[in-house]
Amino acid sequence: MAEKIKIPRNFKLLDELEKGEKGQNSDGVTVGLAIHDDITLTHWNGTIFGPPGTTFDNRIYALSLSCSDRYPQIPPSLRFNSKINLPYIDQTTGVANPSKCPGIADWKEADTMDTVLYKIRRDLCTPNNRKLPQPAENSTYQ
Amino acid sequence: MGELPRRIQKETQRLLSEPVAGISASPYQDNLRYFNVVLAGPATSPFEGGIFRLELFLPEEYPMAPPKVRFLTKIYHPNIDKLGRICLDILKDKWSPALQVRTVLLSIQALLSAPNPEDPLDAGVADHWKSNEAAAIEEAKRWTQQYATGSLP
Repeated sequence: MAEKIKIPRNFKLLDELEKGEKGQNSDGVTVGLAIHDDITLTHWNGTIFGPPGTTFDNRIYALSLSCSDRYPQIPPSLRFNSKINLPYIDQTTGVANPSKCPGIADWKEADTMDTVLYKIRRDLCTPNNRKLPQPAENSTYQ
Repeated sequence: MGELPRRIQKETQRLLSEPVAGISASPYQDNLRYFNVVLAGPATSPFEGGIFRLELFLPEEYPMAPPKVRFLTKIYHPNIDKLGRICLDILKDKWSPALQVRTVLLSIQALLSAPNPEDPLDAGVADHWKSNEAAAIEEAKRWTQQYATGSLP
């Protein structure tokens, strides 16, 4: 049987960090550490640039991600800081519903935080979502 | 888990049976390419008396690619950043498959004895080291006392 190689959490997260530092994230998203000396690599910031041709266009959505000790066996948790109207985002807290949010609901161990943000951004362009009325620009969850 | 490459098996056996002085490296049971490393700060360095934890991983390409290593204990050193990442040539372009985990650990121990602020990873610490070496060494000693407080297994 071939050896199955498992990249430990921290080294996977360091690879993800390096990708962000080199500006190699997917189009329209960024991922970086929330606290520059967080040696536990737990708290992350992300942004999604609203895709053109949607009601999200020209807006920058700030969000927080958190990677537990069991990452990547379990996906990151995600919370929007900028207000956004989407069916899987709690409108009081900004927290993403893990069983509905693209990228999290279908999470696989080889995925990354970048994959999650990429899938959410792609989802903003679907016929169901692209015309959703949006809260005032620059408003945030408490 | 499938078969671990023979080279890694042999290196692991030797690390366990003939450990390097002041360094312990043992694989995690659920991932034999992933090592828990504990390193004693070298005598007559600002890190003397400290016990530093590191993690080391042998990627799929090893030994054609170097091990990945990081400090888990905070350390004030010009070649180690605030996330514990290490700037060391043999972990990058100077890596050779003739080197081993053992040589890497010895080189990290040597780096603690001889910080090199001319090739910095943490620019702030390196500037401190260059502008006022005595004060930087005092700061490194303070960090050692505050954070590097474990014990060798």
